[in-house]
Amino acid sequence: MENLKLAWRNLWRNRRRTMITAASVFFAVFFALFMRSLQLGSYDYMYKNVIESYSGYIQLQQKEWWDEKTIDNSFGYNLKLEERLLSDNNIVNTIPRLESFALASSGSNTKGVMVMGIDPEKESLLSDISKKVAKYHLSADAIAKILASKQLPEKATGNLPLFENVYYDDENRLLQDLGLNVEKKDSYLPVLARYSRIEGEQIKVGEPGVWLGQELAKYLEVQPGDTMVLMGQGYHGTTAAGKYQIKGIIKIPASDISGRIVYLPYDVAQELFHAENNLTSLILHVRDNSDKAIAETSQWLSEKIPDETRIIDWKEMNDVIIQQMEADNVSGMFMIGILYIVIAFGIIGTVLMMTAERRREFGVLVAIGMQKKKLASIVGYEMMMIGLLGVMAGIIISIPIILYGVNHPIVFKGELAHMMEEYDFEPKLVFETVSYYYLWQAFVVALMVLVSLIHPVRKILRLKVVNALRA
Amino acid sequence: MKVLELKNAHKIYNSSEIQVHAVNGVDLTFEEGEFAAIVGPSGSGKTTLLNMIGGLDHPTKGLILVENTDLSKLKPSKLIDFRMRNIGFVFQSYNLIPVLTAAENVEFIMNLQKKPKKERQKRTEDLLNAVGLGDRINSRPSKLSGGQQQRVAVARALASKPKFILADEPTANLDSKSTETLLQIMEELNREEKITFIFSTHDARVVKRARRVVTLEDGKILSDEISKN
Repeated sequence: MENLKLAWRNLWRNRRRTMITAASVFFAVFFALFMRSLQLGSYDYMYKNVIESYSGYIQLQQKEWWDEKTIDNSFGYNLKLEERLLSDNNIVNTIPRLESFALASSGSNTKGVMVMGIDPEKESLLSDISKKVAKYHLSADAIAKILASKQLPEKATGNLPLFENVYYDDENRLLQDLGLNVEKKDSYLPVLARYSRIEGEQIKVGEPGVWLGQELAKYLEVQPGDTMVLMGQGYHGTTAAGKYQIKGIIKIPASDISGRIVYLPYDVAQELFHAENNLTSLILHVRDNSDKAIAETSQWLSEKIPDETRIIDWKEMNDVIIQQMEADNVSGMFMIGILYIVIAFGIIGTVLMMTAERRREFGVLVAIGMQKKKLASIVGYEMMMIGLLGVMAGIIISIPIILYGVNHPIVFKGELAHMMEEYDFEPKLVFETVSYYYLWQAFVVALMVLVSLIHPVRKILRLKVVNALRA
Repeated sequence: MKVLELKNAHKIYNSSEIQVHAVNGVDLTFEEGEFAAIVGPSGSGKTTLLNMIGGLDHPTKGLILVENTDLSKLKPSKLIDFRMRNIGFVFQSYNLIPVLTAAENVEFIMNLQKKPKKERQKRTEDLLNAVGLGDRINSRPSKLSGGQQQRVAVARALASKPKFILADEPTANLDSKSTETLLQIMEELNREEKITFIFSTHDARVVKRARRVVTLEDGKILSDEISKN
């Protein structure tokens, strides 16, 4: 207790230096936690986006489909198979998909597209795709009419040309992009709706009709209500051709996908490709998505599924994303490592100064009877206290900020948001609570302090009292 | 009773080419209750001799015996422990612990000795009263004058009830009034506590008050006189 008291008082004899050292530890901990929270949050968000909204955690596929994605590598799907799959406790529902490729054509514009046959209702278990049907389109014509009406504030009319040809599925986002107050939407929205509103509809199983990605719609120069033709190769070399009404434009953040995706009901797709009752993949919607549960379900299913099919899990389907995230994770850790090394040198600098300027005092203490080990432990306590001060401050201040960020993700607006979307980044920064990481901080800082203690402890243990008293 | 004995003590420093005989065959004995001064010009070996007596430095040759314990035979940690229990130090620049109050500085060694709290507090109070600082027990060294700090240092040196106290030029940084007060206090404590005081000094005022004066020159004893004080 006496040693702790002495260490605590020693800490404050050079208040400014202690504060600077503790502050450097604080900033290291704070930024490490903040950056890590953002990084883990973005991974989690990406996982959720990709896995939970698109691939699902496990799929049933025709054996060859993953390596060669042609309609010929589809498998037969029937009620009996469905019942067999649903008999597993972890499988809550199944989400059918039939994917293939075709040429999409409207007027004189034609483009190779990915055709995705889906069950819109079941798809909503995974993603909110039905909510992504665009409601507004700021076409050049619409912008000209809005400007001519002179019913919007100057700021908004100035912003309008920046968003030419952009689709919106969210009214608030439209208002924000134009710099309009969302709370006054009742006065602005009717003006915008009058000239830029597009009426999208839902697609339904059993009813022909398609949704297009917004970039594809721009390319084909089509609007909801127009007609387009899909033409390609069907099942086992048949000719696939069909004419469909465009029910809606889907606002998809990733520009490369939105430029080549066509959704239609899966039964309509089966008819188009002459692949009656066939699917290319069946997403198994699971109750428990932990690795263990997925492995158990996969194992159980492998004995129950037809020979022509196989079970594929999210890790195999998203191996590229996972590798990218792992690489990014390592680079993040590396950056934090550099941050810590810089801070460690700061602490070592403090320790060196402290040891040098107190050499005489150390000599006196040993002369009057303090054991060197005890003296070293007091110096150790001092450094530990500085470390603790910094770590605690870093944790205490970062917790509310991170928790706020968890509940209020940073959503970018306006031009910056569109620029990010053009590079296929969602304009959103998501935080995650990083519980285990707090302990990790304490461990790393303790390690830094221990390393920085090597020098003073060596100096104290080798102290020659007579020389120290002359210092 | 014999407290301290030096037998043919030598201290030789080896520089790159020449050997320096800082202490050269010193034989000395100090009895309990002595109030002795070691004097001599700069470089005569006073501080080296004091360091060896205090177990801070080892003789190159010869013996330093404190109540028949040969200091050079003690292991480093045992020697530190021995110093704590048997030797008090008063330094020229006071060397109090700046973050502790006067009382805490005095109590410090008793803390190291693990003495009971009540005993520590009582002795601290007695000693600070004895050195005339009963009203400054909670002052930190930075709030005390040089003379007051040196008085706290004397109280600290006495706290562990040592066999003897070594004071290396204790009045060098003090004005005449503070020197007089300090010497008076040390004399009183020497008489009351029967503790041996050994000073190294240049100060004529200290020499005048000493009851024994050992004069060193070139590391050798030039004279060893008992004063009539």
